[in-house]
Amino acid sequence: MKKAIPYLRRTIQALSFFFLLYLILKTAFPLELKIPVDLYLRLDPFIGIITFLTKKEVILRMLPAFGVLLVVFIFGNFFCGWFCPMGATIDFFDRILFREKKGAKSFSDQSLRRLRYGIFMFSLVAGLMAFQVMYILDPISLITRTLIIAFYPPAIFIFNHFLPQMQHFLPQNSLIASTIPMPLFKVNLLIFLFFVIVLALGVIRKRFWCRYLCPLGTLFSIVSRFRILKRFVTVDCTRCLKCVKDCPVGAIPETNPQEYRQQDCVSCFKCLECPPEAVSFHFGLPRWRTVSGVNLSRRYVLGSLAFGVVSALMIKANPLQSESGLKNNRLIRPPGSLPEEEFVSVCTGCGECLKVCPNNALQSTLLEAGLAGLYTPRLVPRIGYCEEFCNFCGRICPTEAIRPLPVEEKRLLQMGIAHIDKTRCIAWDTEKICLVCNEQCSYQAIIGDDKKRPIIKEEKCTGCGICENKCPVDGESAIIVYASGVQKKLKPEDLNNNKNEVPSTPAKKEKSS
Amino acid sequence: MDQSRKKELTRRQFITGTVAVALPLLSSKLPFYGSLAHAAEESDLVIAKNGSASQLLQAAMAPLGGMGRFIKKGQRVVIKANIAWARTPDQACTNNPDLLAALIKMCYDTGAKRVAVWDHTCDNYQFCFSRSGLKETAQKAGADIFSGHGRNSYKQVEVQKGKKVKTVEILRDVLESDVFINFPIPKQHFATELTLGMKNLIGIVWDMEQLHKIGLHQAIADINTIRKTDLVVMDAIRILTTNGPKGPGKTEDIGEVIASTDIVAADAYAAAFFKHPKTGIPFKPEEIQFVKNAYDLGLGQINLSKVRVKKVTAA
Repeated sequence: MKKAIPYLRRTIQALSFFFLLYLILKTAFPLELKIPVDLYLRLDPFIGIITFLTKKEVILRMLPAFGVLLVVFIFGNFFCGWFCPMGATIDFFDRILFREKKGAKSFSDQSLRRLRYGIFMFSLVAGLMAFQVMYILDPISLITRTLIIAFYPPAIFIFNHFLPQMQHFLPQNSLIASTIPMPLFKVNLLIFLFFVIVLALGVIRKRFWCRYLCPLGTLFSIVSRFRILKRFVTVDCTRCLKCVKDCPVGAIPETNPQEYRQQDCVSCFKCLECPPEAVSFHFGLPRWRTVSGVNLSRRYVLGSLAFGVVSALMIKANPLQSESGLKNNRLIRPPGSLPEEEFVSVCTGCGECLKVCPNNALQSTLLEAGLAGLYTPRLVPRIGYCEEFCNFCGRICPTEAIRPLPVEEKRLLQMGIAHIDKTRCIAWDTEKICLVCNEQCSYQAIIGDDKKRPIIKEEKCTGCGICENKCPVDGESAIIVYASGVQKKLKPEDLNNNKNEVPSTPAKKEKSS
Repeated sequence: MDQSRKKELTRRQFITGTVAVALPLLSSKLPFYGSLAHAAEESDLVIAKNGSASQLLQAAMAPLGGMGRFIKKGQRVVIKANIAWARTPDQACTNNPDLLAALIKMCYDTGAKRVAVWDHTCDNYQFCFSRSGLKETAQKAGADIFSGHGRNSYKQVEVQKGKKVKTVEILRDVLESDVFINFPIPKQHFATELTLGMKNLIGIVWDMEQLHKIGLHQAIADINTIRKTDLVVMDAIRILTTNGPKGPGKTEDIGEVIASTDIVAADAYAAAFFKHPKTGIPFKPEEIQFVKNAYDLGLGQINLSKVRVKKVTAA
């Protein structure tokens, strides 16, 4: 039974990872899964607390996260060891890449262990002021973002590449499977490299990321110091130090194996494999005292906080961020996004909206929204446009940075306004009849003049970007959408001028939950 | 064949099997076969009025010689529908679902082996298919429905008769199918005045938007030279008269289904449903540039007085 626990843990870790993968793959049309596809992000109390602090209101979707915190209070930091998909990935790569050599020198990490507390304080202060660095480090957001932006497009590439080969073996024409347009994400290499670095840190020590950097782990550590399920060692202990070697997070001090640092323990129960069977876990009263705490000097705490404040001020003083500075008028936010300043403070950059967007219209920013807006979504019409009857990005955003709006409301939201470059437009520049933009516009915001040249009706344009996307001019489009600053609601147009009965089949009902 | 299931093949079975397979293949090539099958053929363009969708289709097909004139047993049929936009059926921007269901059923009843409905949609195909209700309809009727969003579905062809379009990527299934049915819905269109049967074939092309650069009217005619439309079934039960082709706009209930072997003639007839925006009188076929261009390329007859037109009442 006790020997089975490590296998059980590994199985659950693998299942957890593949469940996340499944949820990500299901983050697509028609979005009818009963479980929320952003489940893992909703269970992340770090994101829950930060968004609560910055938005100053409770986000209903994030409430389950506080339940997780309660469970951590009872069972200790079980999440990192059993369920965290990032932890599972790190464990997997540590196992296959970084075998620990026998007789390796013992590793004193007393000074390293306070690193993540410093990062935690720094990012908390910086986040409250301007710069959401913690979202980039949050493991759930990190793994979701990496899987979506870095690994999903290559997976599609492989699928598309092998599909024609596969079709040779299929009966002629029995199945005409279409290749999937490969999603393109500009920041994929950067995100991939960051992920590789996180994994490569395992060469220094197993689970380096989890032990010394992860902010979610830090939060769980703080809470699980009060844990109720505790480790007890009887006097039978022979000081064989097996548990010290086995402990994947080094929570048991070599000098005193009868004790443990409860804040670091991930409840993997590997120490139950004790030759004299001296170790047991049962419930006990919570207590703050620990065998060796983190050496957080006053100087260290103040230094971390000051670093956070200064960094945030630096970013605020950057022209990309400052109100009087340069505004990026091509920075179109997804439909229903909160006002820019609030948006960048709540968006975790998880990339779920990038995955769900049926037209690959949403892209992660690099510096277009300033440093504070790193990895936040923006609409890039030349790559994809905002689909008229789609509200998926709002429906899956875990922190409601993109508000969940009904389809009818979303489609009348003005994100930007299209402008025609008459020197490049086929219709304005030559005698040819083009009018692709007029044909494609869902809102009749582009009309033609008597010479069949397009003219924009700004009061109807939502900035969905279908015109910019479909414009047949090579390279940069001849019709370009510029952000309208604050998203505003347009007047509903007089659509069905004549409300006839449906000829025979009733129209399908709109799904807009 | 069934023979493969049996362990041994007797001579008798072999001969019967061979004859059974070879006879229909041979007979379709025999010169007299065509004239026999077309005994009921009376006209080139049939307009059916008054009735439900399936009644209209039945009535329109009968004077053409029935569906049996076009589909032989075991053939593969491709229907090019118009599912280009994420609109509901009542907005008349996409095909009437009932008519599509009736058409698919008729193909299968005639003996089609497989019916595939294709369109290269302009809006996202998933939204087009679900909002128009046509995916559900087609699948319920037993047909496959495909969207041309993957480039592997296309094949590059040279347009030998084309005046402006020289090479273009066309849906492979359209090129390889035995029977190609064009299933358009007439709509007003700002750039080309109208979108009719021939314009519907823009939706079998990969680089649709690029055709606008070339010159849309000639491009439409050129595309129509690649694969001859065997049969046009025009869905004029309800048409879109303003804000076309995407709508939503004003619609008009015409209540007609037009079946024809001549795509130019069908377009020439359907043009008269719409009024010229300036003069207010119905369009003449010559006023639609791509119909004129197609006529000049010899794709069909623009002058309806030279076509055998028949008007029938369905119910």
